[in-house]
Amino acid sequence: MMRFIRPRLRKPLLGGIAYLGIAAAWAIGSPTWGLAIVIAVVAVGQTVAWYAWTGEDTDESALLGSRADERQKQVGQRARALAGAVALAAAYVGLVITLAVKRADAWPFAVMLAVTGFAYLLGLSSYGSGEPASEDEVTAGHQTRSPVNS
Amino acid sequence: MAVLEEGRGGLRASDADREQAIEILKAAFVRDRLARAEFEARVGQALASRTHAGLAAATDGIPGRLTADQPPGMPARVREQRTQREMSQGELAQALGVSRQTVISIENGRYLPSLPLAFTIARLFDLTVDTMFGPDQQKAGPR
Repeated sequence: MMRFIRPRLRKPLLGGIAYLGIAAAWAIGSPTWGLAIVIAVVAVGQTVAWYAWTGEDTDESALLGSRADERQKQVGQRARALAGAVALAAAYVGLVITLAVKRADAWPFAVMLAVTGFAYLLGLSSYGSGEPASEDEVTAGHQTRSPVNS
Repeated sequence: MAVLEEGRGGLRASDADREQAIEILKAAFVRDRLARAEFEARVGQALASRTHAGLAAATDGIPGRLTADQPPGMPARVREQRTQREMSQGELAQALGVSRQTVISIENGRYLPSLPLAFTIARLFDLTVDTMFGPDQQKAGPR
């Protein structure tokens, strides 16, 4: 699906769709559609603004325009890691505060905490080497030649 | 200057660092960017420098100069090779297929390129990776 969309348009479009989702949720859950229409207009405006921003010569616009080089991708990964850490901390603080005031609606924070923790473990298993602990190649009978020991 | 002293600038400079600074001054002198008197004064200043901040001051205002928070070697060589070929940072970025900001980061020592990018840079300048990026290499000779 995304292959048919210009790379420069992908992330602005996803941002707009995310806003439209909020507008749709508001329209479904509220008797008045006024705010939903406002959010939808903002979504369209944001998509256009983000698309225009992708044309600039900055790290942020390169990331937004899906044309980041290796350093810019690293910057994006670090920013996402920071966002994840902050989300985890915010969920923890929210859970602690709601439990302290004995509110019954602490469960969303607990869910966020559990999901982010699970995502971290999933990341470790996905991006780790995934190599099972095995016998050393030399001791297993596969003599490897190296400049050091030859 | 206080900022430099807080960072790498306050660290002691090695003989290799001083030699690198002198190479930069020599390159500027042979390109007629420094008068003999200023060249000799700056070489004297570089030889007497005990810290990276001192070397940065000795090469101040020269293309490819050392900065006090810049690791010696690789970043200086990338800038030196680029300026020798009279390329702009944008032209180098285009040749390497990276952004101009990444070239700036490499030259300032804020980003170490990946191995594939290091090979691309070395090939572009017709040097070996070892010559270009080796920590102990002070002179960038032809491949």
